[in-house]
Amino acid sequence: MGQRRRAAAVNNSSSQGTSAAPAEAAGIPNRKHNICMVSDFFYPNMGGVESHIYQLSQCLIEKGHKVVIVTHAYGRRKGVRHLTNGLKVYYLPLQVMYNQSTATTCFHSLPLMRCVFVRERITVVHAHSSFSAMGHDALFHAKTMGLTTVFTDHSLFGFADVSSVLTNKLLTVSLCDTNHTVCVSYTSKENTVLRAALNPEIVSVIPNAVDPTDFTPDPSQRQDDRITIVVVSRLVYRKGIDLLGGIIPVLCHKHPDLQFLIGGEGPKRLVLEEVREKYQLHDRVRLLGALEHKDVRNVLVQGHIFLNTSLTEAFCMAILEGASCGLQVVSTRVGGIPEVLPEELITMCEPTVRALCAGLETVIARQRSASVPSPASIHARVQNLYTWRNVAERTEKVYDRAAGEEVLPLDKRLRRLRAHCGPVAGSIFAFIAVLDFLFLLFLQWWAPDQVMDAAVDATGPNGLWKEAGGEIRANSKSAVKRAAEPEMSIL
Amino acid sequence: MMEDETFTDISGKAISLSCQDHSSLCKEFVVSVPKVSIGKVMVYTCCVWLLAYVVFFFTENTAVLSSAIFITLVGMMLHIHFVKVDHETLLFIGSLGIQLSSSYASGRETTTFIEMGKIKDIVINEAIYMHQIIYYLCVLLKDPSEPNAVARVVPLFQSSKPRLNCLVKVYKSCQEILSKC
Amino acid sequence: MVLKIFFPQCCNRADSGLLVGRWLSGHDSAVVLAVIHYPFIPGQVKQYIQQIQARSGVELSVLGSWSLPKEGQEGMESFLRDLSTIFPQKRWLQINRELGKTGFNCQVLSRDQNGRVIPREIKKKADKIDGDDGEKKGKKKTKKEEEKEKEEEKEKEEEKEKEEEKEKEKEKEKEEEKEKEEDEEEKVIFVHYEQRKVMLSQLHPIENGLSDPTTDPTSELRQMFRSVALSQPLFFLDRYDDGPLKSTHWQSEGREASIIVELLKHSTLPLCVLIRWLLSIWTWICNIRVFSLSPLRFLSSKLSTCVQLSYRTEHMRTLSSQKPAAGHTEFMRKANMVVSVLLDVALGMLLMWWLYKDNHISMLANTLVPAADHVAKELEELLQWLMGAPAGLKMNRALDQVLGRFFLYHIHLWISYIHLMSPFIEGILWYGGLSACFGLTFALSLLSDMVALLTFHIYCFYVYGARLYCLKIYGLSSLWRLFRGKKWNVLRQRVDSCSYDLDQLFIGTLLFTVLLFLLPTTALYYLVFTLLRLVVVLFQGVLHLSVDFINSFPLFAVALRITRSYRLAEGVKFKVLCEEPGTALHLLMEINPLKSSTVVQLYRTPTYSCYPKDSWAALAKKLFVGELIYPWRHKTTKTD
Repeated sequence: MGQRRRAAAVNNSSSQGTSAAPAEAAGIPNRKHNICMVSDFFYPNMGGVESHIYQLSQCLIEKGHKVVIVTHAYGRRKGVRHLTNGLKVYYLPLQVMYNQSTATTCFHSLPLMRCVFVRERITVVHAHSSFSAMGHDALFHAKTMGLTTVFTDHSLFGFADVSSVLTNKLLTVSLCDTNHTVCVSYTSKENTVLRAALNPEIVSVIPNAVDPTDFTPDPSQRQDDRITIVVVSRLVYRKGIDLLGGIIPVLCHKHPDLQFLIGGEGPKRLVLEEVREKYQLHDRVRLLGALEHKDVRNVLVQGHIFLNTSLTEAFCMAILEGASCGLQVVSTRVGGIPEVLPEELITMCEPTVRALCAGLETVIARQRSASVPSPASIHARVQNLYTWRNVAERTEKVYDRAAGEEVLPLDKRLRRLRAHCGPVAGSIFAFIAVLDFLFLLFLQWWAPDQVMDAAVDATGPNGLWKEAGGEIRANSKSAVKRAAEPEMSIL
Repeated sequence: MMEDETFTDISGKAISLSCQDHSSLCKEFVVSVPKVSIGKVMVYTCCVWLLAYVVFFFTENTAVLSSAIFITLVGMMLHIHFVKVDHETLLFIGSLGIQLSSSYASGRETTTFIEMGKIKDIVINEAIYMHQIIYYLCVLLKDPSEPNAVARVVPLFQSSKPRLNCLVKVYKSCQEILSKC
Repeated sequence: MVLKIFFPQCCNRADSGLLVGRWLSGHDSAVVLAVIHYPFIPGQVKQYIQQIQARSGVELSVLGSWSLPKEGQEGMESFLRDLSTIFPQKRWLQINRELGKTGFNCQVLSRDQNGRVIPREIKKKADKIDGDDGEKKGKKKTKKEEEKEKEEEKEKEEEKEKEEEKEKEKEKEKEEEKEKEEDEEEKVIFVHYEQRKVMLSQLHPIENGLSDPTTDPTSELRQMFRSVALSQPLFFLDRYDDGPLKSTHWQSEGREASIIVELLKHSTLPLCVLIRWLLSIWTWICNIRVFSLSPLRFLSSKLSTCVQLSYRTEHMRTLSSQKPAAGHTEFMRKANMVVSVLLDVALGMLLMWWLYKDNHISMLANTLVPAADHVAKELEELLQWLMGAPAGLKMNRALDQVLGRFFLYHIHLWISYIHLMSPFIEGILWYGGLSACFGLTFALSLLSDMVALLTFHIYCFYVYGARLYCLKIYGLSSLWRLFRGKKWNVLRQRVDSCSYDLDQLFIGTLLFTVLLFLLPTTALYYLVFTLLRLVVVLFQGVLHLSVDFINSFPLFAVALRITRSYRLAEGVKFKVLCEEPGTALHLLMEINPLKSSTVVQLYRTPTYSCYPKDSWAALAKKLFVGELIYPWRHKTTKTD
């Protein structure tokens, strides 16, 4: 059916092939943009960045913008795919180096990226996550091609160790001539401004959100004779799984009616398995393995307390999901977490085993004495705190503002690089920028823009998806999203 | 036979599309690619021979020169026999099937015929090809076990790779016939 | 609705008559198989069709009429229409070719309620490009008068039959009414095919012969091919036969060659009996208990000669079986086997002729012993070099000496073994050479075995080296884990963390250091002997590959593809014969032969190849870890 629709879309293309240039006059608010989201992290990979990109794109499409997503190929999933509401995803065949991040040479991705930007007539390039080499590459090329650039930082970094120093330098180079930067929390903004030495005025804060209709409480699923602590996260070092391994035996020893429910998969699973075997807690610590996105809610509602042990976190979506399901949230006091929920909905602890144990103890005691608010009331409070529509509106404003600014021409860009990034790195990257520009000129000679077929719009002002799938759009958004999501799973 | 506006392939070279209506049910589309240019052949030959001469200059072995001539001849023959496609034909016979054939510069012809019973649809799709993203026309084949699934995708005009406007033209005519039967 | 008519090319110029053929179930298409000429008696036609139907298993029927009118012959219209009432069909085709034109006209008639025929107006004129325009005019004028006489006879019979058929027809009426509406838009496509080629060709991919041709609705072309192939009995009716019926269809050009084939077929019968008898003796010998003892059995499974012997036995057993080949696949398999055996024996004979011609055997034997001596000397020098400081590397002297002496002693043993054997070598070679009369593959397998026996010492060195090396690598890896405070959990197949005692750690670290420093010495010996072993394995591998190639190459199929390319069809291709717009389509169907590479792939005789099919990466890993590599595959591969 999808094929048919696409074919039908092609049918009508010839009429609008040339007229699709962004005809709206500059400066008018509510103008429509052609947005290209670039990140290494997208479905079928699973995590905060991935769902952020997906939800934001869907809401922007709803507002009438044209959105395409560019990411790297995941296994056999390469080429061009269409998701719900005509969201087009390019899975480019670039080599993955480490942790789902592509290898970068600053140049080799230019031909494909340029092809995408040109054929989709992109006006705004929006890169996500500072871990994503592809995002930085895209920003670099987009600036060379004279497109407006926006960057969203989803994570926090240190300043001390070697890898942080290097990454921070790279971020400085990447962000110094980017039109606008978005951070997910004020902590994250502070961090990014410091790391990349940015002017705080071009940095906005737009938090993440959850879809409250997806995470509704259901107290009947709980076991009333026991207290269940739920942990849902990838089992990696950054999420503090070693802390969790320290907490489990202590608490299980003290409270015989306590049980843990742990969802997620990762290299640190071994730690938890060893703890479980060593203290013989097989009946009380359940490892669920990788969870599908649609199963997360069913796991959450089985618990009384949601535990988050992250060591660093810019904006924790997991605690929001936990709270939305009506659970008592216990979390480490790191990064942007204190900003996320109001004081009375969350218990903060220092990231040590002892502090976390103490925090959990108090919450368990409260749970025992039944002096906690009901799940429904918690849900009602969280429900309207963060919504994707709000996020999309704020992002739209960022686009409008960024589109009004000028994109630095090459000479100014070089001067900015030299002035902003220090003499050595600045010169090196200025040189690379020149090379990139020459490479672009070569590509423009070799495969001119007019030889490339303009892509048929599925979304945006000239989108053809609306006519074909009108009834789908009329449905509630969350229902549509669920239809698109079964193939995604937590890693 | 009707010649139309000029079409180009994805790298901007001119190609020609000729549509031939044998009857309302049978249409033939021929996409022909320009012939091998003499200049190109000369350049390649000269390169190989110059290289051979340089080697000969240092080794003083005449076998190098004769082998260079041999290599260019064999290379040219292999090229026109296996690589260089002269024209590609799509013969669409309503209710019978689709015949794809490509004839090489040497006159060799390869033909495949797909029966109507196996064809699910003809669509235009997008793909990443080398450093480009292109549109291509393809035939979707049915999976005999599951009637709604697509078992295989057979791309059309693989070596000439026409651009979208040309594909749309072929696509429309094909859909016209498909809707009739 | 499009009606497709498959029309044989040989009937293009046939005289007027009845079209005999078949409607393809599930598709809107008809296959014309033959034309039965006027004059005929309808009863006889029906009987004849029933006979053929019983013999071939194809649902034959009279499809319609074919007319190629001569000059001055007119007013056939009503007669043709009447014909359709004699042979009741849902649809009745009236195909006629006009004198001046090269095209066909086709009219499709369906019936109305009273059993009368109503013409569906889909008259289509079509021109056909064909080489035979001029020839057809001068033919068969005399038949005109005969026809008139016969028509009178027919009319009498028609009356009887009409009454019987009316009842049947009423049942069909309702269905036909529906069809009428559809028929209004009906169009006709003529597909011309060459009957002989279609009859003989085999469409790929081959389907199992088990599926019922009548109920299998899969593919139109496949059904069409099958009905033409199955209706072979129809084509036996010769043009010059003096029967009551005359018909036009494909006819074989002659029977002489087929007589020779028949004779050959008969002569193979006693040959098969002989082979079977020999085989039964051979299997009896093989089944004697001595051979099933474990060491012998193990040995025979590793000797490539024995493997080849059992392989050929299997071949012979298949070939000599009395049952004729069931399907196309089995027939091709057998034919390929015969050709490969014959080729093999012929090549073997050639080899034997060369061996025994100029006393090459003794020459070979005389060079063999000095060659072995030479190899031994070289090896000794190599060992001496390794025992010093090879390539400037400083080895652990004590270990080096021990290993070197150990290997030197082996070489000494082997040399004395060769010298002991030297008087018999010529005899062994002479008798071994005789085995070439069983085929080249035997000779090659024997050669491979002899190489394996003669280089047994290299194998021994390799095994010692590899075992030692393997032990060290394993020791090192497990001590490395101890070093990091980890251990291998055997039950869960994973690395767990573990807290060791102090003395455990101390001893482990000590051992680790010792092993680490002794590793280069062992590794060097291992490397050198592995290289030697690899050379031997490579040689054996080449021999095995060539044996395998001869065994499995589908020579018959390839020859068939080259000489009779239509026999193995990948599919069909069509050519448009009609150039004018607005006429019915005439297509020429040709057979698209299978690609040569596909032929080889499809008809390769499956062999249980005796060389391992490791990937290169797996091989490299095995070599690095020090696992033993063999030129044959393990029967039971361990799965961890």
